[in-house]
Amino acid sequence: MDALKISGLVKKYGDFEAVAGLDFSVREGEIFALVGPNGVGKSTTLKMISTILTPTAGAISVFGLDTVRDAHAVRGMISYLPEEAGAYKNLSGHEYLDFMAMVFLRDSRKAAEAAAYGARLSGLGPRLGDKIKTYSKGMARKLLLARAVMIRPRLAILDEPTSGLDIVNGYEIRKTIKELAAGGMTFLISSHNMTEIEFLSGRIGVINKGRLLACAAPAALKAQFSTEDLEEVFVRLTQ
Amino acid sequence: MNIFAVLLRKEIKELLTRQLVISIAAMIFVFYVIGKSVGSHSRASGASNSIVVMDLDRSELSARLLKAMGGGKTPIKPSAFTDIAPAMAAPEHAAENSFLVIPVGLARSVEEGRPSRLEFYSRFRKDASGMGPAMAASRIRKVSALAAAEASAYALERKAPGLPPAFLRDPAPAEEYVVIDGRTEKVPLGQVVGFIQSQSYFFPIAVFFIVILSAQMIMTAVATEKENKTLETLLSSPVDRRLLVLSKLTASSIIAAALSVAYMLGMRSFMGGITGAAESASASAAAAGPALAKLGLVITTQGYLVIGLSVLFCILCALSMAFILGILSEDVKSIQAMLMPLMMPLMISYLMPIFIDLSTAGWGIKALLYAIPFTHAFMAPQNVMMGNFARAGWGIAYQAAVFAVFVTLAARLFSGDALLTLRLRLPGARKKAAAQ
Repeated sequence: MDALKISGLVKKYGDFEAVAGLDFSVREGEIFALVGPNGVGKSTTLKMISTILTPTAGAISVFGLDTVRDAHAVRGMISYLPEEAGAYKNLSGHEYLDFMAMVFLRDSRKAAEAAAYGARLSGLGPRLGDKIKTYSKGMARKLLLARAVMIRPRLAILDEPTSGLDIVNGYEIRKTIKELAAGGMTFLISSHNMTEIEFLSGRIGVINKGRLLACAAPAALKAQFSTEDLEEVFVRLTQ
Repeated sequence: MNIFAVLLRKEIKELLTRQLVISIAAMIFVFYVIGKSVGSHSRASGASNSIVVMDLDRSELSARLLKAMGGGKTPIKPSAFTDIAPAMAAPEHAAENSFLVIPVGLARSVEEGRPSRLEFYSRFRKDASGMGPAMAASRIRKVSALAAAEASAYALERKAPGLPPAFLRDPAPAEEYVVIDGRTEKVPLGQVVGFIQSQSYFFPIAVFFIVILSAQMIMTAVATEKENKTLETLLSSPVDRRLLVLSKLTASSIIAAALSVAYMLGMRSFMGGITGAAESASASAAAAGPALAKLGLVITTQGYLVIGLSVLFCILCALSMAFILGILSEDVKSIQAMLMPLMMPLMISYLMPIFIDLSTAGWGIKALLYAIPFTHAFMAPQNVMMGNFARAGWGIAYQAAVFAVFVTLAARLFSGDALLTLRLRLPGARKKAAAQ
């Protein structure tokens, strides 16, 4: 079964068409990367998959469930990490993980286990007892990524997971994603970092102006454009 | 743990910051200090502000006048000067502001039935400020009334011996009766008005502050969640979105109520320090107590329940409206401007009933004021005291209906795309933002 299947997806804001007929699917356990220039509808697509926005036309199914009709059930299977997301600054790291685990899992025992797992994943150690407002950007992003995956969603939707992070923090997060995918978790990732995309993803979907231009494995795309540089593939596709 | 309790706890933790607690404690402290210092200053200046009396008549009447005036709270300071100008210029009277000249021949004029004059001089200083001049004027009024009564008694004793001067001055004194809802009681009107004002003095201020505080809080909470994108995470969770709305409304109400209590404590100590209003109001109410009770001017437990319900729905109406305004806010910085649509009706419903008698107002004004749900909360104590329970009940029903409409609208906005896409700003900028 496909973890995610998108058919004829359209999103309009008034006369403006942010997503203009998108079709692709993601297999269970796959890391799929959605790439494209700024403002071409990547985040809008991720928000529609996350049930936050409603499609104007087309359909999205997550493990066979429609994101509009079965929105509540879909929310029980996914976890979404928005780009440049923040956390509640007056909560400590532990309080934030406990709160989010309870919100997503609704069961005290499962939530406690998930929060403990999230605490380990974050790697923040004793700093989890401090308020989030004292965290650096890298620490906050690690906490947020831990939050996104600690509940072991079937589909994790990560918008720019390593944006603004230094090399070490970015590397650790990519490593974590790889390990979790090996364990069966499906990832849909949006990123501008082509090195990261090549390292992480099994397939890449390149979109521009709300439309899918190409969808294949990094090696296949490079072969198609006769280059060893994925960035060159991106530039030639989008210009 | 119940998911609502989890959400509520998080909302309260986010709202109740250390800075907020410190600022509220500072506000109470400032009110207290101002009240205490103004009160002690007033007492100190009252003690030094006596009336300097130049008795040029030196008669039995002038001695009686001095004795009568000295019986009041204002100290009388006899002066040996014979003219007002040098008396005012004298170093020993440099701090004095009130002077009285009893002219030569006062007693003889009164005995012969010829008019005379008592001359009161009040010195205003160029840098006078605060309540000093008003207090000086009050002193002069009291002292001149005492002097006039004594001079009148002196004249009556001589012209109509055998009859008590008090009877001659006011042979048919007025008796005041107050009628409320068909019940008539002999009680001074001033006491009834004072009692009603004392009961409703703090109330509208408290409601006003609760509404503003809670509205600001919930708007900030929604706008902050939008700005920080924490809201997007919550919206993608399997929590009923109505619970998200409800937890924010409840947390804002709880914090706003706690802050209002703190504010009221500070305000009460401030007002108490300046005027002793609380003490005098309770003393006045105690004196007229039985008559006021017979008039029905006592708020029963049932009455307090009605008032409480009206205030509760007033806050809920404001919160649901503020919630929508928070959704429409561009960011946290724009909240002050976005509060205006709520402030306008709130100010109208708060201020207009103070100056307009709604029982005799035109239909246009009545319709405007009663259409604003906050008006019913401001009017609730008066309605309850006057026995208008039906009017108070209809007001609550109307508030509940308005709340239902706005909270439904808020929940719909919170559940749809509008939460992330709808905002009050220039149309050209919307497309760009939407595609991000």
